[in-house]
Amino acid sequence: MALSLRTLRNAWTVARLEWQLEWRQGHQLAAVGLFAVASVYVAFQASDQRTDPASWTAMLWLVYLFSGFTAIGRLFDRERSDVRRYLQWTADPLGLILGKLFHSILTTTALTALVLGAFILFLGWPQGAGELTKPALLVLGAWLGGLSITVTLVFVSAVASQVRAGSGALGAVLGLPLLLPQLILSTRLTRGALSDTPWAILAEYPLFLAAISAGTATLACILFPYIWRA
Amino acid sequence: MNGAWNWIWKGGGIVLLAYVILRGFSTPLQPGLVTAAPSQLKLGMQTVTLTAAGQPFGKEGASLSEFTVVLRAGDQLLKTETQEVQPHGITVAVNVPGVLPSRALDAFVFTPSAGTLFLGNACFVEEAAKGDIPTSYVANKPDESTPQLGFSFPFQPNIIESIRNLLWHVPMWFSMFFIMGLGFVASLGQLRTGKVMWDLRAEAAVRTGLLFGLLGLATGSLWARWTWGAWWVSDPQLNGALVTVLLYSGYLILRSAMGDDDRVGRLAAVYNVFAFVMLVILLMVLPRYTESLHPGKDGNPGFNKYDLDNSLRAVFYPAVIGWGSLCYWMYTLRLRMNRIAYSLLSR
Repeated sequence: MALSLRTLRNAWTVARLEWQLEWRQGHQLAAVGLFAVASVYVAFQASDQRTDPASWTAMLWLVYLFSGFTAIGRLFDRERSDVRRYLQWTADPLGLILGKLFHSILTTTALTALVLGAFILFLGWPQGAGELTKPALLVLGAWLGGLSITVTLVFVSAVASQVRAGSGALGAVLGLPLLLPQLILSTRLTRGALSDTPWAILAEYPLFLAAISAGTATLACILFPYIWRA
Repeated sequence: MNGAWNWIWKGGGIVLLAYVILRGFSTPLQPGLVTAAPSQLKLGMQTVTLTAAGQPFGKEGASLSEFTVVLRAGDQLLKTETQEVQPHGITVAVNVPGVLPSRALDAFVFTPSAGTLFLGNACFVEEAAKGDIPTSYVANKPDESTPQLGFSFPFQPNIIESIRNLLWHVPMWFSMFFIMGLGFVASLGQLRTGKVMWDLRAEAAVRTGLLFGLLGLATGSLWARWTWGAWWVSDPQLNGALVTVLLYSGYLILRSAMGDDDRVGRLAAVYNVFAFVMLVILLMVLPRYTESLHPGKDGNPGFNKYDLDNSLRAVFYPAVIGWGSLCYWMYTLRLRMNRIAYSLLSR
């Protein structure tokens, strides 16, 4: 497994291909957006416009989690069919998984903007949170937490796509336990960003999330060739 | 492995477990104070009863004068008069002065044969003013006796008799880690060589490990109810334990979803390697950085070295070996089943 220039070029091609296909097959992109906004609207209605920081955080991450499942869960669907045979000849597995991981970074950015934006638009700030003193930490926490979720989901959907029947539900079953630690850290960080906890105490959470993302991405790169080489 | 060696480790494991169960339940606990009644004291003369758990701290035929109780306020000692000694309790008369260095009183019971028993913050005196204890109320520090208790388990506040769970809960988690580690190595072997035998080993290991994980969770939950008051609490150690069980359940679900697909071995191995690395991060690394109720919270997710005394060690180490060998034995049985099933299916 050597990281060559060709691998990186492959990765870039795969990532660009993913993004172009997302744009051209607009319905899939729209499906994720609709899911996210509709969930936020349900949260807005259910909370009756009154939320405390804890329930605000809980709803934010639930919406984020299932939007992530919708966006990343079908990432390897195309590779089930003839496209797979084509890619097996042209792209090396490392390039392919790196491309998918690049794509997940882009997805994370879009999802963070969408979900966080919709939350602030509909629900506003939670009551009792006081003045928001750390907006940068809130956004950074949402992005890093989202990244740790989507990176893990890339690996999970790669595994689940190998199973012929019912891989959608399987992705959720395999993914949820793997995502629990990331979600525990993310929710704590968001709660902290909404409270008056000082920066210095919360500083280790972004580091943890970044380390988990990097670790899972590395593991996915090491293990993916074994999944791919069927 | 030849036949004789097989008999030795299997038989040895059973003998050790029998010893652990017998010794673990029959060994008495060292005495220790549990409660003081009443816990709120008034000023003036009154009686206080201190209740103990564990083996009786009184000696047969000992006289009242051999038991001394002092109450400590701040750094000063308040004297009492022993009135009655029962096997698990002692009643004293105490004259509470109007001035005390601290409103909280710690109790010390000096016994002839069981050493000194201690209960922190045993009683409170709401009405006391702050100041030194008048000299006529002050006690001299009595002589401490050397405990002559024989083979007994240490007394830990809050844990008390449930300390025996240490011989079940902890070795079960150790066994789970051991066998999951074996499964991890088997999965690496599967990925390296692609041989079916490694996959059968990994499957057997995960199945056995999951059983021990569930047992560890059940015994841990019982212990949490007894010491922390709830069957489940939000705690990094417990979150990690739950995730472990869910992860390996996912492994078995993945296998059964694949059915008789011939890629099942490799895919399951990939998932197992991923799961094990996440598990190590979860259980070893994360709890060290967040607060935990679980023992060993200061950087080490095990029992503190001071909590394990020699009597407990004499049963705990055999328990680790005994449960470990039982776990490995179960794994070999499952592996044999897997091999037979595989050879029948591939005929």
